Amino acid sequence: MKRIFGTLLFGALFSSHVFGGYAVVVHPENTSELDYQTVKRIFLGKETAFSNGELATVLTHSPDSSLRAEFDEAVLKRKTFAVDAQWSKLVFTGRGTMPQTVQSDQEMIDLILQNKNAIGFIETSSVISDVKVVKID
Amino acid sequence: MKKLIVAAALTAAFVLPAQADIRINGFANLIGGVTGSEESLYGYDDTFNLSEESLFALQASGSINERMSATVQILARGADDYDPNFEWAYISYRVTNRATLSAGRFRLPLFKYSDSLDIGYSHNWVSVPQAVYDVPFNNIDGFRVDYSDFVGDWEVKLGAAVGTFENEVSGGVITGDNTYMVNAEVSNDWLSLRTVYGGTEASFSQTQLDAAIGQIGQASASFADFLAINEDKSNFVGLGFTIDRFSWFLAGEYTNIEIADSYTPTDEAMFVTAGFRAGKWTPSVTYSVFEGDEVKGLEQLQALGQPLQAALTPSVLGLNALFAENYQVATATIRYDYAASFAVKLELSQYTDDLDETKDASLVRFAINYVF
Repeated sequence: MKRIFGTLLFGALFSSHVFGGYAVVVHPENTSELDYQTVKRIFLGKETAFSNGELATVLTHSPDSSLRAEFDEAVLKRKTFAVDAQWSKLVFTGRGTMPQTVQSDQEMIDLILQNKNAIGFIETSSVISDVKVVKID
Repeated sequence: MKKLIVAAALTAAFVLPAQADIRINGFANLIGGVTGSEESLYGYDDTFNLSEESLFALQASGSINERMSATVQILARGADDYDPNFEWAYISYRVTNRATLSAGRFRLPLFKYSDSLDIGYSHNWVSVPQAVYDVPFNNIDGFRVDYSDFVGDWEVKLGAAVGTFENEVSGGVITGDNTYMVNAEVSNDWLSLRTVYGGTEASFSQTQLDAAIGQIGQASASFADFLAINEDKSNFVGLGFTIDRFSWFLAGEYTNIEIADSYTPTDEAMFVTAGFRAGKWTPSVTYSVFEGDEVKGLEQLQALGQPLQAALTPSVLGLNALFAENYQVATATIRYDYAASFAVKLELSQYTDDLDETKDASLVRFAINYVF
Protein backbone atom coordinates (compact mmCIF):
# COMPACT_ATOMS: atom_id res chain seq x y z
CA MET A 1 0.00 0.00 0.00
CA LYS A 2 2.80 2.32 0.99
CA ARG A 3 4.55 1.61 -2.27
CA ILE A 4 1.46 2.38 -4.30
CA PHE A 5 0.95 5.55 -2.37
CA GLY A 6 4.58 6.50 -2.89
CA THR A 7 4.27 5.76 -6.58
CA LEU A 8 1.19 7.91 -6.85
CA LEU A 9 2.79 10.72 -4.97
CA PHE A 10 6.01 10.65 -6.96
CA GLY A 11 4.07 9.96 -10.12
CA ALA A 12 2.28 13.22 -9.63
CA LEU A 13 5.56 15.07 -9.13
CA PHE A 14 7.69 13.36 -11.75
CA SER A 15 6.94 11.33 -14.82
CA SER A 16 5.80 7.88 -13.71
CA HIS A 17 8.89 5.95 -14.91
CA VAL A 18 11.12 7.73 -12.42
CA PHE A 19 9.70 5.81 -9.51
CA GLY A 20 8.33 2.61 -10.89
CA GLY A 21 8.97 -0.30 -8.52
CA TYR A 22 10.15 -3.68 -9.73
CA ALA A 23 9.20 -6.21 -12.38
CA VAL A 24 9.90 -9.95 -12.18
CA VAL A 25 11.46 -11.09 -15.44
CA VAL A 26 12.23 -14.38 -17.18
CA HIS A 27 13.51 -15.51 -20.56
CA PRO A 28 10.93 -14.89 -23.33
CA GLU A 29 10.81 -18.63 -24.11
CA ASN A 30 9.88 -19.50 -20.54
CA THR A 31 6.23 -20.48 -20.85
CA SER A 32 5.81 -21.99 -17.38
CA GLU A 33 2.96 -20.87 -15.16
CA LEU A 34 4.11 -18.33 -12.62
CA ASP A 35 1.94 -16.66 -10.01
CA TYR A 36 2.83 -14.69 -6.91
CA GLN A 37 3.03 -17.77 -4.67
CA THR A 38 5.33 -19.65 -7.07
CA VAL A 39 7.60 -16.63 -7.56
CA LYS A 40 7.88 -16.17 -3.81
CA ARG A 41 8.70 -19.86 -3.31
CA ILE A 42 11.32 -19.82 -6.06
CA PHE A 43 13.05 -16.72 -4.61
CA LEU A 44 13.09 -18.34 -1.17
CA GLY A 45 14.44 -21.64 -2.52
CA LYS A 46 11.37 -23.59 -1.43
CA GLU A 47 10.47 -24.39 -5.02
CA THR A 48 13.39 -25.44 -7.21
CA ALA A 49 11.76 -25.88 -10.61
CA PHE A 50 9.35 -24.13 -12.95
CA SER A 51 6.01 -25.74 -13.80
CA ASN A 52 7.62 -27.06 -17.02
CA GLY A 53 10.02 -29.12 -14.87
CA GLU A 54 13.14 -27.08 -15.62
CA LEU A 55 15.31 -26.14 -12.63
CA ALA A 56 15.16 -22.42 -11.93
CA THR A 57 18.31 -20.29 -11.84
CA VAL A 58 17.58 -17.53 -9.34
CA LEU A 59 19.18 -14.13 -9.86
CA THR A 60 19.01 -11.25 -7.43
CA HIS A 61 20.53 -7.86 -6.79
CA SER A 62 23.34 -7.19 -4.36
CA PRO A 63 22.10 -6.90 -0.75
CA ASP A 64 22.95 -3.20 -0.50
CA SER A 65 20.72 -2.17 -3.41
CA SER A 66 17.45 -0.40 -2.64
CA LEU A 67 15.65 -2.38 -5.35
CA ARG A 68 16.64 -5.61 -3.58
CA ALA A 69 15.37 -4.29 -0.25
CA GLU A 70 12.09 -3.26 -1.86
CA PHE A 71 11.61 -6.60 -3.62
CA ASP A 72 12.49 -8.71 -0.56
CA GLU A 73 10.11 -6.78 1.63
CA ALA A 74 7.21 -6.53 -0.83
CA VAL A 75 7.34 -9.96 -2.45
CA LEU A 76 9.20 -12.19 0.00
CA LYS A 77 7.85 -10.37 3.07
CA ARG A 78 11.25 -10.51 4.70
CA LYS A 79 14.25 -8.30 5.36
CA THR A 80 17.13 -8.99 3.01
CA PHE A 81 19.28 -10.48 5.79
CA ALA A 82 16.51 -12.97 6.59
CA VAL A 83 16.33 -13.99 2.94
CA ASP A 84 20.10 -14.55 2.98
CA ALA A 85 19.83 -16.57 6.18
CA GLN A 86 17.16 -18.77 4.56
CA TRP A 87 19.40 -19.40 1.55
CA SER A 88 22.46 -20.10 3.68
CA LYS A 89 20.46 -22.91 5.31
CA LEU A 90 19.72 -24.44 1.91
CA VAL A 91 23.26 -24.02 0.64
CA PHE A 92 24.84 -25.72 3.63
CA THR A 93 22.49 -28.66 3.43
CA GLY A 94 23.15 -29.23 -0.24
CA ARG A 95 19.58 -28.30 -1.14
CA GLY A 96 20.21 -25.10 -3.01
CA THR A 97 22.65 -22.80 -4.75
CA MET A 98 22.97 -19.24 -3.48
CA PRO A 99 21.30 -16.92 -6.01
CA GLN A 100 23.80 -15.14 -8.21
CA THR A 101 23.85 -11.41 -7.49
CA VAL A 102 24.07 -8.77 -10.16
CA GLN A 103 25.15 -5.14 -9.89
CA SER A 104 22.76 -3.59 -12.39
CA ASP A 105 19.53 -4.11 -14.31
CA GLN A 106 21.54 -4.38 -17.51
CA GLU A 107 23.58 -7.25 -16.09
CA MET A 108 20.34 -8.91 -14.96
CA ILE A 109 18.83 -8.59 -18.44
CA ASP A 110 22.00 -9.97 -20.06
CA LEU A 111 21.95 -13.03 -17.78
CA ILE A 112 18.23 -13.63 -18.30
CA LEU A 113 18.67 -13.53 -22.07
CA GLN A 114 21.54 -16.05 -21.85
CA ASN A 115 19.64 -18.58 -19.73
CA LYS A 116 16.22 -19.95 -20.56
CA ASN A 117 15.69 -20.98 -16.93
CA ALA A 118 16.80 -17.78 -15.21
CA ILE A 119 14.45 -15.63 -13.15
CA GLY A 120 15.21 -12.22 -11.73
CA PHE A 121 13.80 -8.75 -11.21
CA ILE A 122 14.58 -5.24 -12.45
CA GLU A 123 13.27 -1.70 -12.10
CA THR A 124 10.03 -1.31 -14.06
CA SER A 125 11.69 1.53 -15.96
CA SER A 126 14.44 -0.87 -17.16
CA VAL A 127 12.01 -3.33 -18.78
CA ILE A 128 12.71 -3.94 -22.43
CA SER A 129 10.68 -6.01 -24.88
CA ASP A 130 13.40 -8.74 -25.07
CA VAL A 131 12.56 -10.08 -21.60
CA LYS A 132 9.26 -11.46 -20.38
CA VAL A 133 7.62 -9.76 -17.44
CA VAL A 134 5.85 -12.05 -14.96
CA LYS A 135 2.60 -10.70 -13.55
CA ILE A 136 2.53 -11.38 -9.83
CA ASP A 137 -0.30 -9.14 -8.63
CA MET B 1 43.23 -17.56 -5.30
CA LYS B 2 42.83 -19.75 -2.22
CA LYS B 3 39.37 -20.70 -3.44
CA LEU B 4 40.89 -21.78 -6.71
CA ILE B 5 43.45 -24.01 -5.03
CA VAL B 6 40.82 -25.68 -2.87
CA ALA B 7 38.53 -26.06 -5.84
CA ALA B 8 41.31 -27.60 -7.87
CA ALA B 9 42.23 -30.00 -5.08
CA LEU B 10 38.65 -31.09 -4.62
CA THR B 11 38.14 -31.51 -8.33
CA ALA B 12 41.12 -33.82 -8.41
CA ALA B 13 39.89 -35.68 -5.35
CA PHE B 14 36.47 -36.23 -6.79
CA VAL B 15 37.61 -36.91 -10.33
CA LEU B 16 34.69 -34.82 -11.50
CA PRO B 17 34.31 -34.13 -15.19
CA ALA B 18 36.59 -31.32 -16.29
CA GLN B 19 33.61 -29.06 -16.92
CA ALA B 20 32.12 -29.61 -13.46
CA ASP B 21 30.83 -26.54 -11.78
CA ILE B 22 32.34 -26.27 -8.29
CA ARG B 23 30.84 -23.96 -5.72
CA ILE B 24 32.72 -22.98 -2.61
CA ASN B 25 30.84 -21.63 0.38
CA GLY B 26 31.89 -21.21 3.94
CA PHE B 27 30.81 -20.11 7.34
CA ALA B 28 32.49 -19.06 10.53
CA ASN B 29 31.40 -18.66 14.13
CA LEU B 30 33.74 -16.87 16.46
CA ILE B 31 32.34 -17.45 19.93
CA GLY B 32 33.75 -16.38 23.26
CA GLY B 33 32.37 -16.85 26.73
CA VAL B 34 33.00 -16.73 30.44
CA THR B 35 31.03 -18.00 33.45
CA GLY B 36 30.53 -16.52 36.87
CA SER B 37 33.29 -16.98 39.46
CA GLU B 38 34.20 -20.65 40.06
CA GLU B 39 31.42 -21.91 37.84
CA SER B 40 31.47 -23.98 34.67
CA LEU B 41 28.99 -24.59 31.88
CA TYR B 42 29.15 -26.03 28.34
CA GLY B 43 32.94 -26.23 28.54
CA TYR B 44 33.38 -22.65 29.74
CA ASP B 45 34.70 -21.59 33.12
CA ASP B 46 35.52 -18.31 34.81
CA THR B 47 38.45 -17.60 32.48
CA PHE B 48 37.47 -16.14 29.13
CA ASN B 49 37.55 -18.79 26.40
CA LEU B 50 37.46 -18.18 22.67
CA SER B 51 37.92 -21.70 21.34
CA GLU B 52 35.27 -23.90 22.98
CA GLU B 53 32.57 -23.28 20.36
CA SER B 54 34.33 -21.32 17.62
CA LEU B 55 34.43 -23.00 14.25
CA PHE B 56 35.35 -22.41 10.65
CA ALA B 57 33.94 -24.39 7.77
CA LEU B 58 34.39 -24.69 4.06
CA GLN B 59 31.95 -26.42 1.81
CA ALA B 60 32.54 -27.49 -1.73
CA SER B 61 29.76 -28.71 -3.97
CA GLY B 62 30.30 -30.03 -7.42
CA SER B 63 27.57 -30.77 -9.91
CA ILE B 64 28.29 -34.04 -11.67
CA ASN B 65 25.30 -33.39 -13.88
CA GLU B 66 22.02 -31.59 -13.53
CA ARG B 67 20.65 -34.29 -11.23
CA MET B 68 23.71 -35.40 -9.30
CA SER B 69 26.02 -33.45 -7.03
CA ALA B 70 28.74 -34.15 -4.50
CA THR B 71 29.21 -32.10 -1.34
CA VAL B 72 31.95 -32.06 1.27
CA GLN B 73 31.95 -29.89 4.33
CA ILE B 74 35.21 -29.53 6.17
CA LEU B 75 34.81 -28.15 9.65
CA ALA B 76 37.52 -27.01 12.05
CA ARG B 77 36.34 -26.68 15.65
CA GLY B 78 38.23 -24.70 18.25
CA ALA B 79 37.45 -27.45 20.75
CA ASP B 80 39.46 -29.86 18.55
CA ASP B 81 42.38 -27.45 18.20
CA TYR B 82 40.95 -26.45 14.79
CA ASP B 83 41.85 -29.83 13.35
CA PRO B 84 39.85 -29.99 10.12
CA ASN B 85 37.30 -32.76 10.01
CA PHE B 86 35.10 -34.06 7.23
CA GLU B 87 31.81 -33.22 8.88
CA TRP B 88 29.73 -34.09 5.84
CA ALA B 89 30.57 -35.86 2.61
CA TYR B 90 27.77 -37.07 0.46
CA ILE B 91 26.44 -37.54 -3.04
CA SER B 92 22.94 -36.29 -3.80
CA TYR B 93 20.75 -37.50 -6.59
CA ARG B 94 17.67 -35.56 -7.55
CA VAL B 95 15.26 -38.37 -8.35
CA THR B 96 12.53 -35.91 -9.34
CA ASN B 97 12.20 -32.16 -8.76
CA ARG B 98 10.48 -33.05 -5.49
CA ALA B 99 12.64 -35.89 -4.19
CA THR B 100 16.35 -36.11 -3.42
CA LEU B 101 18.32 -39.17 -2.39
CA SER B 102 21.61 -38.64 -0.56
CA ALA B 103 24.29 -41.15 0.39
CA GLY B 104 27.34 -40.65 2.56
CA ARG B 105 27.92 -38.85 5.83
CA PHE B 106 25.38 -36.19 6.64
CA ARG B 107 23.44 -34.52 9.41
CA LEU B 108 20.57 -36.61 10.79
CA PRO B 109 17.54 -34.28 10.62
CA LEU B 110 16.34 -34.99 14.15
CA PHE B 111 15.52 -31.41 15.04
CA LYS B 112 14.07 -28.35 13.42
CA TYR B 113 17.51 -26.73 13.16
CA SER B 114 19.59 -29.92 12.76
CA ASP B 115 20.71 -29.13 9.25
CA SER B 116 21.93 -25.69 10.11
CA LEU B 117 22.87 -25.88 13.78
CA ASP B 118 26.53 -25.10 13.06
CA ILE B 119 25.65 -22.13 10.87
CA GLY B 120 25.23 -19.48 13.51
CA TYR B 121 24.17 -16.92 10.92
CA SER B 122 21.02 -18.92 10.10
CA HIS B 123 19.51 -18.81 13.60
CA ASN B 124 19.10 -16.30 16.40
CA TRP B 125 21.11 -17.91 19.22
CA VAL B 126 24.80 -17.98 20.00
CA SER B 127 24.29 -21.74 20.00
CA VAL B 128 21.10 -23.78 19.54
CA PRO B 129 19.55 -24.88 22.87
CA GLN B 130 22.03 -27.48 24.12
CA ALA B 131 19.47 -29.18 26.39
CA VAL B 132 17.70 -30.44 23.28
CA TYR B 133 20.36 -30.41 20.57
CA ASP B 134 23.39 -31.82 22.35
CA VAL B 135 23.00 -35.49 21.38
CA PRO B 136 25.85 -37.81 20.29
CA PHE B 137 24.17 -38.85 17.04
CA ASN B 138 23.79 -35.70 14.99
CA ASN B 139 25.75 -37.08 12.06
CA ILE B 140 25.30 -40.50 10.52
CA ASP B 141 26.74 -42.55 7.68
CA GLY B 142 24.01 -43.87 5.45
CA PHE B 143 21.21 -42.88 3.13
CA ARG B 144 18.69 -40.11 3.29
CA VAL B 145 15.68 -39.30 1.16
CA ASP B 146 13.92 -35.92 1.23
CA TYR B 147 10.63 -35.11 -0.40
CA SER B 148 8.83 -31.78 -0.55
CA ASP B 149 5.61 -30.71 -2.17
CA PHE B 150 2.91 -28.05 -1.91
CA VAL B 151 -0.72 -28.56 -1.04
CA GLY B 152 -2.54 -25.26 -1.50
CA ASP B 153 -0.79 -22.75 0.74
CA TRP B 154 1.01 -25.50 2.65
CA GLU B 155 4.45 -26.88 2.08
CA VAL B 156 4.83 -30.53 3.04
CA LYS B 157 8.25 -32.05 3.71
CA LEU B 158 8.84 -35.72 4.34
CA GLY B 159 12.15 -37.34 5.08
CA ALA B 160 13.65 -40.67 5.98
CA ALA B 161 17.18 -41.75 6.81
CA VAL B 162 18.94 -45.03 7.56
CA GLY B 163 22.51 -45.65 8.64
CA THR B 164 24.96 -46.06 11.49
CA PHE B 165 26.75 -43.68 13.81
CA GLU B 166 29.72 -43.76 16.14
CA ASN B 167 30.70 -41.00 18.49
CA GLU B 168 32.87 -40.29 21.51
CA VAL B 169 30.89 -39.21 24.55
CA SER B 170 31.49 -39.19 28.32
CA GLY B 171 34.90 -40.79 27.95
CA GLY B 172 33.48 -43.72 26.00
CA VAL B 173 32.21 -44.61 22.58
CA ILE B 174 28.56 -44.81 21.59
CA THR B 175 27.56 -46.59 18.43
CA GLY B 176 24.19 -46.99 16.74
CA ASP B 177 23.51 -49.80 14.31
CA ASN B 178 20.43 -50.07 12.11
CA THR B 179 19.57 -46.45 12.80
CA TYR B 180 16.47 -45.21 11.03
CA MET B 181 14.43 -42.05 11.20
CA VAL B 182 11.32 -40.60 9.59
CA ASN B 183 10.19 -36.99 9.79
CA ALA B 184 7.31 -34.89 8.53
CA GLU B 185 6.86 -31.14 8.48
CA VAL B 186 4.00 -28.98 7.26
CA SER B 187 4.32 -25.23 7.02
CA ASN B 188 2.61 -22.22 5.57
CA ASP B 189 3.65 -18.58 5.54
CA TRP B 190 3.73 -18.26 9.30
CA LEU B 191 3.18 -21.64 10.95
CA SER B 192 5.31 -24.76 10.88
CA LEU B 193 4.67 -28.10 12.60
CA ARG B 194 7.16 -30.93 12.70
CA THR B 195 7.34 -34.47 14.01
CA VAL B 196 10.09 -37.07 13.96
CA TYR B 197 10.47 -40.67 15.05
CA GLY B 198 13.68 -42.65 15.04
CA GLY B 199 15.23 -45.82 16.37
CA THR B 200 18.62 -47.44 16.71
CA GLU B 201 20.41 -50.37 18.33
CA ALA B 202 22.67 -48.55 20.72
CA SER B 203 25.89 -49.72 22.34
CA PHE B 204 28.00 -47.77 24.77
CA SER B 205 31.42 -48.79 25.96
CA GLN B 206 33.62 -47.08 28.50
CA THR B 207 36.41 -48.80 30.43
CA GLN B 208 35.33 -48.19 34.04
CA LEU B 209 31.69 -48.71 33.24
CA ASP B 210 32.31 -51.95 31.41
CA ALA B 211 34.29 -53.16 34.44
CA ALA B 212 31.47 -52.23 36.83
CA ILE B 213 28.88 -54.04 34.73
CA GLY B 214 31.27 -56.97 34.39
CA GLN B 215 31.37 -57.32 38.18
CA ILE B 216 27.59 -57.27 38.38
CA GLY B 217 27.61 -59.93 35.67
CA GLN B 218 29.51 -62.28 37.97
CA ALA B 219 26.55 -62.10 40.36
CA SER B 220 23.79 -62.14 37.72
CA ALA B 221 24.47 -62.33 34.02
CA SER B 222 20.88 -61.49 33.06
CA PHE B 223 20.78 -58.40 35.28
CA ALA B 224 24.10 -57.19 33.86
CA ASP B 225 22.66 -57.70 30.41
CA PHE B 226 19.64 -55.59 31.35
CA LEU B 227 21.87 -52.78 32.61
CA ALA B 228 24.43 -52.74 29.81
CA ILE B 229 23.81 -50.64 26.71
CA ASN B 230 24.70 -53.37 24.29
CA GLU B 231 22.79 -53.44 21.02
CA ASP B 232 19.76 -52.27 22.92
CA LYS B 233 16.73 -50.88 21.16
CA SER B 234 16.51 -47.17 21.62
CA ASN B 235 14.00 -44.70 20.29
CA PHE B 236 13.69 -41.02 19.66
CA VAL B 237 10.49 -38.97 19.44
CA GLY B 238 10.46 -35.29 18.58
CA LEU B 239 7.81 -32.61 18.12
CA GLY B 240 8.27 -29.00 17.13
CA PHE B 241 6.37 -25.88 16.16
CA THR B 242 7.30 -22.44 14.86
CA ILE B 243 5.08 -19.40 14.56
CA ASP B 244 6.86 -16.69 12.65
CA ARG B 245 4.97 -13.48 11.90
CA PHE B 246 8.26 -11.90 10.97
CA SER B 247 7.90 -8.97 13.34
CA TRP B 248 7.74 -11.58 16.13
CA PHE B 249 8.21 -15.33 16.51
CA LEU B 250 7.48 -18.13 18.95
CA ALA B 251 8.91 -21.63 18.61
CA GLY B 252 9.45 -24.78 20.63
CA GLU B 253 10.68 -28.34 20.44
CA TYR B 254 10.21 -31.41 22.58
CA THR B 255 12.25 -34.62 22.41
CA ASN B 256 12.14 -37.92 24.24
CA ILE B 257 15.04 -40.37 24.06
CA GLU B 258 14.79 -43.81 25.62
CA ILE B 259 17.00 -46.87 25.85
CA ALA B 260 14.54 -49.14 27.65
CA ASP B 261 16.84 -51.96 28.82
CA SER B 262 19.70 -50.02 30.35
CA TYR B 263 20.90 -48.06 33.33
CA THR B 264 20.44 -44.80 31.48
CA PRO B 265 17.35 -42.73 32.25
CA THR B 266 14.79 -41.69 29.67
CA ASP B 267 15.66 -38.14 28.64
CA GLU B 268 12.95 -35.58 28.06
CA ALA B 269 14.11 -32.23 26.77
CA MET B 270 12.30 -29.18 25.50
CA PHE B 271 12.72 -25.51 24.81
CA VAL B 272 10.47 -22.56 24.05
CA THR B 273 11.80 -19.41 22.45
CA ALA B 274 10.18 -16.08 21.64
CA GLY B 275 11.49 -12.87 20.18
CA PHE B 276 10.87 -9.99 17.86
CA ARG B 277 12.60 -8.26 14.99
CA ALA B 278 13.11 -4.53 15.09
CA GLY B 279 15.17 -3.38 12.13
CA LYS B 280 18.61 -4.92 12.49
CA TRP B 281 17.99 -6.01 16.07
CA THR B 282 16.50 -9.37 17.07
CA PRO B 283 16.12 -9.80 20.82
CA SER B 284 14.81 -13.16 22.08
CA VAL B 285 14.40 -15.24 25.21
CA THR B 286 14.63 -19.02 25.47
CA TYR B 287 13.74 -21.42 28.26
CA SER B 288 15.04 -24.99 28.17
CA VAL B 289 14.22 -27.94 30.41
CA PHE B 290 16.05 -31.25 30.62
CA GLU B 291 14.70 -34.12 32.70
CA GLY B 292 16.51 -37.43 32.82
CA ASP B 293 16.98 -38.71 36.34
CA GLU B 294 14.59 -41.61 36.94
CA VAL B 295 16.45 -44.49 38.62
CA LYS B 296 16.30 -47.68 36.58
CA GLY B 297 17.03 -51.32 37.40
CA LEU B 298 15.90 -51.35 41.04
CA GLU B 299 12.85 -53.53 40.29
CA GLN B 300 14.94 -56.02 38.36
CA LEU B 301 17.45 -55.97 41.22
CA GLN B 302 14.73 -56.65 43.79
CA ALA B 303 13.70 -59.71 41.82
CA LEU B 304 17.16 -61.16 42.45
CA GLY B 305 16.46 -61.17 46.22
CA GLN B 306 18.88 -60.79 49.08
CA PRO B 307 21.80 -60.75 49.62
CA LEU B 308 22.43 -59.66 46.03
CA GLN B 309 20.03 -56.75 46.28
CA ALA B 310 21.90 -55.17 49.18
CA ALA B 311 25.28 -55.92 47.66
CA LEU B 312 24.53 -54.47 44.22
CA THR B 313 22.34 -51.47 45.09
CA PRO B 314 25.30 -49.04 45.41
CA SER B 315 26.67 -50.11 42.01
CA VAL B 316 23.27 -49.74 40.34
CA LEU B 317 22.75 -46.30 41.84
CA GLY B 318 26.27 -45.33 40.80
CA LEU B 319 25.61 -46.37 37.20
CA ASN B 320 22.33 -44.47 37.15
CA ALA B 321 24.02 -41.35 38.46
CA LEU B 322 26.47 -41.38 35.57
CA PHE B 323 24.01 -40.00 33.01
CA ALA B 324 21.36 -38.56 35.35
CA GLU B 325 20.65 -34.90 34.68
CA ASN B 326 17.82 -32.58 35.57
CA TYR B 327 18.18 -28.88 34.89
CA GLN B 328 16.70 -25.75 33.39
CA VAL B 329 18.35 -22.99 31.39
CA ALA B 330 16.98 -19.49 30.95
CA THR B 331 18.60 -17.55 28.12
CA ALA B 332 18.36 -14.01 26.77
CA THR B 333 19.93 -13.26 23.39
CA ILE B 334 20.29 -10.24 21.20
CA ARG B 335 21.25 -10.51 17.55
CA TYR B 336 22.41 -7.55 15.48
CA ASP B 337 22.66 -7.85 11.70
CA TYR B 338 25.66 -5.68 11.12
CA ALA B 339 25.82 -6.28 7.36
CA ALA B 340 24.65 -8.83 4.82
CA SER B 341 25.94 -12.29 5.79
CA PHE B 342 27.40 -10.92 9.00
CA ALA B 343 25.73 -10.95 12.41
CA VAL B 344 26.89 -10.36 15.97
CA LYS B 345 25.17 -11.71 19.08
CA LEU B 346 25.31 -11.48 22.81
CA GLU B 347 23.76 -14.14 25.01
CA LEU B 348 23.28 -14.58 28.72
CA SER B 349 22.36 -18.01 30.15
CA GLN B 350 21.35 -18.99 33.65
CA TYR B 351 21.69 -22.72 34.38
CA THR B 352 19.84 -24.23 37.35
CA ASP B 353 20.61 -27.83 38.34
CA ASP B 354 17.97 -29.76 40.29
CA LEU B 355 20.32 -32.60 41.25
CA ASP B 356 23.37 -30.68 42.33
CA GLU B 357 22.99 -26.99 43.06
CA THR B 358 26.76 -26.49 43.13
CA LYS B 359 26.51 -26.86 39.32
CA ASP B 360 24.31 -23.77 38.99
CA ALA B 361 26.03 -21.33 36.68
CA SER B 362 25.64 -18.19 34.66
CA LEU B 363 27.34 -17.80 31.33
CA VAL B 364 27.82 -14.84 29.03
CA ARG B 365 28.78 -15.46 25.41
CA PHE B 366 29.21 -13.37 22.30
CA ALA B 367 29.26 -14.60 18.72
CA ILE B 368 30.35 -13.26 15.38
CA ASN B 369 28.69 -15.20 12.56
CA TYR B 370 29.69 -14.98 8.96
CA VAL B 371 28.68 -16.86 5.82
CA PHE B 372 30.12 -16.55 2.34
